[in-house]
Amino acid sequence: MKFIAVIRQVPDNEAKLRIEGGRVNYEGATLILDQMDEWGVEEVIRLKEQYGGEAVIVALGPERFEEAIRTALAMGADRGVHLVTEASLDPITQAQALADTLRDEAPTLVFTGGQQSDWDSQALGPAIAEALGWPVVTWTTSLELEGQGAYAKAKHDLDEGAEVVRVALPAVFTTQQGLNEPRYPTLPGIMKAKKKEIRKVPIAFEGKVETLEQTIQERRRLNKVIDGTKDPVAAADELVRLLHEEAKVI
Amino acid sequence: MILVVLEHDGQRLRKGALEAITRARQLNAIAGSVAGVLIGENLAAVAEEAKRYVQALYLAEVGPYTAEGWAAAAYAAQQKAGAQVVVATGSRQGRSWTPRLAYRMGAALLEDTLETGTDGAKVIATRYSFLNRVTEKQSAALPVVFTVKPNTTPLAEPLGSEGTVETLSVELPAVGVEVMERVVEQKKGVSLAEATIVVTGGRGLGSPQAFAQVEELADLLGGAVGATRAVVDAGWRPYGEQVGQTGKTVQPNVYIALAVSGAVQHQAGMNKSKYIAAVNKDPEAPIFKVADYGVVGDVHQVLPALIEAAKKLKD
Amino acid sequence: MAIDFSLTDEQKQLQALARRFAREQIAPVAGEYDRKEEVPWPVIEKLFEVGLLNAIIPEEYGGLGLSMLEEVIIGEELAWGCMGIYTIPMASDLGITPVLLAGSHEQKSRFFGQLTEKPALAAFALSEPGNGSDAAALRTRAVRDGDHYILNGTKTWISNGGEAEWVVVFATVNPEARHKGVVALVVEKGTPGFKANKLHGKMGQRASGTYELVFEDVRVPAANLLGAEGDGFKIAMNTLDKTRIPVAAGSVGVARRALDEATKYAREREAFGKPIAEFQAIQFKLAEMLMGIETARAYTYYAAWLTDRGLPQAHAAAIAKAYASEMAFAAANQAIQIHGGYGYMHEYPVEKLLRDVKLNQIYEGTNEIQRLIIARHILKG
Repeated sequence: MKFIAVIRQVPDNEAKLRIEGGRVNYEGATLILDQMDEWGVEEVIRLKEQYGGEAVIVALGPERFEEAIRTALAMGADRGVHLVTEASLDPITQAQALADTLRDEAPTLVFTGGQQSDWDSQALGPAIAEALGWPVVTWTTSLELEGQGAYAKAKHDLDEGAEVVRVALPAVFTTQQGLNEPRYPTLPGIMKAKKKEIRKVPIAFEGKVETLEQTIQERRRLNKVIDGTKDPVAAADELVRLLHEEAKVI
Repeated sequence: MILVVLEHDGQRLRKGALEAITRARQLNAIAGSVAGVLIGENLAAVAEEAKRYVQALYLAEVGPYTAEGWAAAAYAAQQKAGAQVVVATGSRQGRSWTPRLAYRMGAALLEDTLETGTDGAKVIATRYSFLNRVTEKQSAALPVVFTVKPNTTPLAEPLGSEGTVETLSVELPAVGVEVMERVVEQKKGVSLAEATIVVTGGRGLGSPQAFAQVEELADLLGGAVGATRAVVDAGWRPYGEQVGQTGKTVQPNVYIALAVSGAVQHQAGMNKSKYIAAVNKDPEAPIFKVADYGVVGDVHQVLPALIEAAKKLKD
Repeated sequence: MAIDFSLTDEQKQLQALARRFAREQIAPVAGEYDRKEEVPWPVIEKLFEVGLLNAIIPEEYGGLGLSMLEEVIIGEELAWGCMGIYTIPMASDLGITPVLLAGSHEQKSRFFGQLTEKPALAAFALSEPGNGSDAAALRTRAVRDGDHYILNGTKTWISNGGEAEWVVVFATVNPEARHKGVVALVVEKGTPGFKANKLHGKMGQRASGTYELVFEDVRVPAANLLGAEGDGFKIAMNTLDKTRIPVAAGSVGVARRALDEATKYAREREAFGKPIAEFQAIQFKLAEMLMGIETARAYTYYAAWLTDRGLPQAHAAAIAKAYASEMAFAAANQAIQIHGGYGYMHEYPVEKLLRDVKLNQIYEGTNEIQRLIIARHILKG
């Protein structure tokens, strides 16, 4: 069986973002495998360990994405495919670009992050599903294979509540927090990853969406701190007073 | 024609549908009339309301929700209406089927937009990115599909006339997803998305029982209860209450975070609140960086005191 | 183009792993273990799972054979999380190094084998209550008896001493011969007569277990002798020449943490109408902290580079260790100052940095001894 995780590389969430020339500037930023995609990587490694087969990483992006692929390989995935483009492409176009590669790989299932923390998009998984003509389960919180990989039983979040579904494979799944606890890439894993294959495929696609401008409006907060360690009651009273009289919100 | 996919609850149009209609009408530089499509089952009742808002209304009786079904029905409507722009609500559901539609149409997808407009023959949109920290302006040539971020747009008024109603026959794809069990949470009290006051509890509260006090405070203030992912994962609160990157985004007048450490992913769900107040025993907790009012202290002592203070305020 | 200051992709990944580990597994619990003066076995176990424990053991013995440069990269990151917690794997490497330098193949298999199957530590016992810097004056006595040595004496300030699977103990078979009479013996945990008493009340690095080791007629197999009788002193000195480099790396990590915390605070704290980061006095302090960090790191990498190439490095290791620990102490001190009153409270992480890094000026050879080593290097030619 073959389990694919589609991943993206994003700036570290904790880092402060910088705008230069109307665009978020990545220079000097720590770039990491997106956390939501990491749950996908952990899941395909787990599935491979449990059911046998291959865990494959697929990424579409500039050359620097290779670091994120290596991180996934260091976690335990077997090999990678890197569709290389320096262009910034929207999720629909990316799904178009990924379709052939994913179809040729003919996996049992494809995982991708429920939402990635740079473009805040939830579209990649569903668009890939449409491209391949497969079902998609979004916000997946648990997954088990059934019937020798013919089906999967999955739990996923809805707007209000959750649902357990049975999906015919192959299918696309997008991740949700709680799906698993990603393992660290280990030191031996990092050393082994050096030798694992990353197949590079240069692509040329034109996106459908143009980003005109990015700005940060950091809301200047009052940052008033009240000490509630010695007299919690007084602190609570003060907070309520401030919210009522100063902020006028209660 | 601009096509709007109208979200409804089986009886009435949802607020999101009325916001979407407003947005569609704003694009009159591209097309002068707005069509709507209702998707689901037993649509007759909602159709009565819906036809008063659009020039043309399509009905697609396809049964209970599936992403493939909704995308297929929306596509059928789009084709029938010859619409170059399709508008839908940016609910989780909406954001799950609209990419399928966009792909099939070969259209540009603009997600969870705050504002939309036109620039010549292009659609321009404003939206958030980087965990709601960056505002970006995007443009796309037709055809375009976009979703509307809830609670950003005034609700449309009825037109004063009734649109034509047409039933669509939709070729449903074989759906590979079989629903085995659905846990739908009963919404109690004020809904998060509409609340002007949100009181959120984090894992530091220690137990599900402690949330009774969170509920009490929310009730007294007339607000909704929120939760962090950790709390939802622990089974203390329902999924629908989760605020954050992987949950809901809220924009109340005041967001009160109790024993919430304030990781960036949680902040993404509330950093646009007008005011943020926090209670946490760790003065280094990230939440204090984004709080207007922060109380450093033990939430188990501060929360009961907040309840008392709120009671006094009411009187 | 001979000099290359860049890290390989693999080294960058290593750094990213250690950095993330420090941020997620070490920093959040460091304060608690410091307060309780307790050894963090859960963290040690996770270090083992991730491959960061005892990684200098060569591959042929089940380890990863990391280079000194890689150790330095990891050391800075882990120490950023907590110098006390980092001292635990660092002191384990200190115990491993004599075996690496002087052990036979059989000894390496035997002793390293005990460290690779599960989370386990080694230790190095040289200092005694009566002598630290004057190492050659050690009094722990080893007397040959058939195919054993009988060990009597006391060691003190031994990191990991009570936790280790085995300890390399330096003893003398002939006190008159001073350094020529020293032997290095590997004493295994549980050997009758060998007792470890934990020392309490340390100023800092309280997560690291520091012990007094007492040997009362302890019978150590002669097969546990590293090298020959009389080799012990050289083994100890050669070990310390190497292991002082990770100490330097640790100091850099602490200083970087001090700078990170001070910068964060200075951006948020306001006085006289603006963030204090806008005042020159604060900016000068931050700048001086970075000056120390960048120079110490670059030089520590150089000392590691010399070591990895088998070039003479004793003076470089000494410079790195002394300089880094002193600049880190200054940095921690300034970080507290920048925090003002809050810096003096242990709710804030900076006072611990000072308490922790002070020890870096003392252990693994005091900074005074380092200066002697450096002076010797200058004057020998």
